[in-house]
Amino acid sequence: MIMLSLQLMSSATQESSELSAMYSWLLLVNTLGSVVLLGLVGANIYSVIRQLKKREAGSRLTTRMVFLFVLVALAPAAIVFYFSMQFLHQGIDSWFNVEIDRAMEDALELSQASLDQRMRWHLKQTQQLTQKLEELSENSATLEVDNLRELSGASEMTLFSRQGRIVASSSINPSDILPSMPEDHSWLQLRQNNEFVALAPVREDELMIRVIVSVQTQEQEPQYLQALYPVPIRIADLADSVEFAFVRYQEMNYLRDSLKLSFSLALSLVLLMSLLAAIWVAFVSIRQIVAPVKQLVKGTQAVASGYYDQQLPVIAQDDLGFLVESFNKMTNRIALARDETRQASAEVENQRAYLETILANLTAGVISFDATYKIRTANQAAYRIFHIHVNHFIGQTLMELTQSYGELTEPLKSIQRLLEQADDIWQQRIAFLGPNGRQELLCRGTPLFSQEGQRVGAVVVFDDVTDLIQAQKNAAWGEVARRLAHEIKNPLTPIQLSAERLQLKLAAKLDSADADILQRSTQTIVQQVEAMKEMVDDFSQYAKPSKKQAVEIDLADLIQEVLTLYMTKTGVQFKTEYDSGLLMIKGDPVSIRQVIHNLLKNALEAIDFKGQIEIGVHRVQKNNTDFIEIALYDDGPGIKDEQIEQIFEPYVTTKAKGTGLGLAIVKKIIEEHGGAIWVDARRKIGAGFIIQLPATNMREST
Amino acid sequence: MGLAALPEFCAAGQFGSEVKKAELTLSGNNYLLTAEFAYQLSDHAKEALKNGVPLFWTLQVKIWRQRDFFGDVTIIDRSIRYRIQYHALLNMYRVRNEITGQVENVSTLSSALEMISILHDFPVFNKNVLLPDIAYRAGVRVIFDREALPLPLRPIAYLSSQWYLSSDWYLWSLTK
Repeated sequence: MIMLSLQLMSSATQESSELSAMYSWLLLVNTLGSVVLLGLVGANIYSVIRQLKKREAGSRLTTRMVFLFVLVALAPAAIVFYFSMQFLHQGIDSWFNVEIDRAMEDALELSQASLDQRMRWHLKQTQQLTQKLEELSENSATLEVDNLRELSGASEMTLFSRQGRIVASSSINPSDILPSMPEDHSWLQLRQNNEFVALAPVREDELMIRVIVSVQTQEQEPQYLQALYPVPIRIADLADSVEFAFVRYQEMNYLRDSLKLSFSLALSLVLLMSLLAAIWVAFVSIRQIVAPVKQLVKGTQAVASGYYDQQLPVIAQDDLGFLVESFNKMTNRIALARDETRQASAEVENQRAYLETILANLTAGVISFDATYKIRTANQAAYRIFHIHVNHFIGQTLMELTQSYGELTEPLKSIQRLLEQADDIWQQRIAFLGPNGRQELLCRGTPLFSQEGQRVGAVVVFDDVTDLIQAQKNAAWGEVARRLAHEIKNPLTPIQLSAERLQLKLAAKLDSADADILQRSTQTIVQQVEAMKEMVDDFSQYAKPSKKQAVEIDLADLIQEVLTLYMTKTGVQFKTEYDSGLLMIKGDPVSIRQVIHNLLKNALEAIDFKGQIEIGVHRVQKNNTDFIEIALYDDGPGIKDEQIEQIFEPYVTTKAKGTGLGLAIVKKIIEEHGGAIWVDARRKIGAGFIIQLPATNMREST
Repeated sequence: MGLAALPEFCAAGQFGSEVKKAELTLSGNNYLLTAEFAYQLSDHAKEALKNGVPLFWTLQVKIWRQRDFFGDVTIIDRSIRYRIQYHALLNMYRVRNEITGQVENVSTLSSALEMISILHDFPVFNKNVLLPDIAYRAGVRVIFDREALPLPLRPIAYLSSQWYLSSDWYLWSLTK
């Protein structure tokens, strides 16, 4: 379309062309076209600049390519344009030069001179004719004019007065009644010079010589004779031709600058339009070329930021298309590899979780350490054994833990020492006093080494063997008690009976002094045997498994019932505190009553029946199980620290008399009921015992 | 028959053309236009003429029927086209009526312009063309035909004010 329009404009500059009439419109249309193209190119440049500022993908490539395109298109076009302009101007200038100028003017002058000569000749001829008219009267003059015209060869001859009144007229063409009269400005010349001669174009294409001279007739007013002589056709044609050429040349000469301007304008417009069109096309095609590159850049960025599912559309089957296809294959593979890695890591994670679950559900505590002895992991059992919350464990060293948990200083320190010293698997039994009383741990440690032989950490596994050891001890004591009961109780009755028999038989035969000795001795024997029997009974009671009868017991009722028996003891103040509602356990009421009796008896003895005894019964929750806790405190002298560890073992007593089995029996009964008893070490005044028994139907009873 | 001459213009600059007066008179069945024009050529135009470039003028007369909501409708559009050219051989100006082919030769430019500055009793339209009780508008103007200039001059003629030689409309209203 652009080419068509330019071609039309080029044709229009040929003046003969029919398109000449459309020249202005074509110029306007082409200018508008240029403006539109300029707008398009401008918009494209603006968008590229914006992309450059935003550092968009492919914008720099686009800029560089456009720059190159424009340079490549502009340079030759500018050179061609420059030389075309040069040739154009020189070409147009060469049409005109001084010689042609002068020749043209000379030709015109020559034809004018030739006509002038002819005019002068006709003037002279007419002047001679007037002499013939001068003597004639007006009437005869009228007749004479006809003759004179024919004589002189004029095509028309008219005699008129100064005022313009026609006196006589004669024409070669009889139909011309009205003679051609001179123009106003001819009159002026005529009045001044009494003669007038000029060329007169009578009709468009007919040239005449008009001659007017004054005639001295006999009339008063002067008269004029006008003669119109035809110019010979040959001369007229030549003059016409010269004039035409001259006018044409003069016109061209005059239009020279305009012509140059016009051609320059047309040429500039052609150049501008084709350049702009080229640049625009360059923009469009570069955009098409750069589009896949742009996509590739975006795709690469996406892959760089972790989106491997990026697939780019393949626009063309060229080199860039191949590149895009390769990119797609690459991202595909990366995505596949990533999925595989994910799957593998998920499997590893599953394995880890599985192991963690197993570890968490082990009854043994497991703690792993890193190379700097900081705790990396610890399982649930470890928390349970040490009574330390999960959050406080991880990332700390054992020494740091001792600062916040003073009661654990001993075991933690010894584990730390073992960790640092051991180069191989070690095993150690560690005892310490926990919040629930004495605890015994069996620790096994394994240092971990990397493949290079560097120490990277350690694992410590420990079991709470308190109950196991206690059970072993209990079994041993039970056996001892059973043997004692059996071996000692049997000879006691014959000893007692024999002593009584000695008393009975010998008392009468002895004198009073000896009888008295005997009396006292046998009494001592009997009393001691009684005491021994009692002791052996205690042992057998401790040794034999209790006949348990599982009954629902309300602990508050039971304690209150036992307490009423001791209320009468003056000087002792009992302070009780029970949680509201039922405090039910399942157990043997006789055994539980004995536990309360034993503890109360101990407490009363400790305070020497003077002072205060506090008893509290509460509900507590531990390890998601409901317990009823009995706390019993006195304000006596308390228990010495070194005794606390062994106080529940048989034959340990602080009292002057007693079998030392009271607390051992208590502990046995409580453990048989699935509970626990320990000395409340936090209590600084007097002694305190805590008993926890599993509660029953807590939800129903509350 | 209300013919009122209402001059609505015009800028009489240093050069250009002007409609001095114009009126339509009814004579018999025809309306005749009598008008007077004034021309003042710019230096460029005079120079071009002197160098043999023919100049064209068109005297245009138009009658519109006035409408309220839409644009006016042209019902009559008549024009006379003149050509003035200089003849070097005779040192004369030739005025040619392009419609009738009538030619006049005059020796000065001013007389040539004078020849096209008076329009006398030019029959424009039949009186039956006008309907009673309808408002009409008549207008007369002179158009200098730039498109008739030689091709190289045309772009310049549009860009230079020297070639803006047309007159504005001379308008008046017209009713039967």
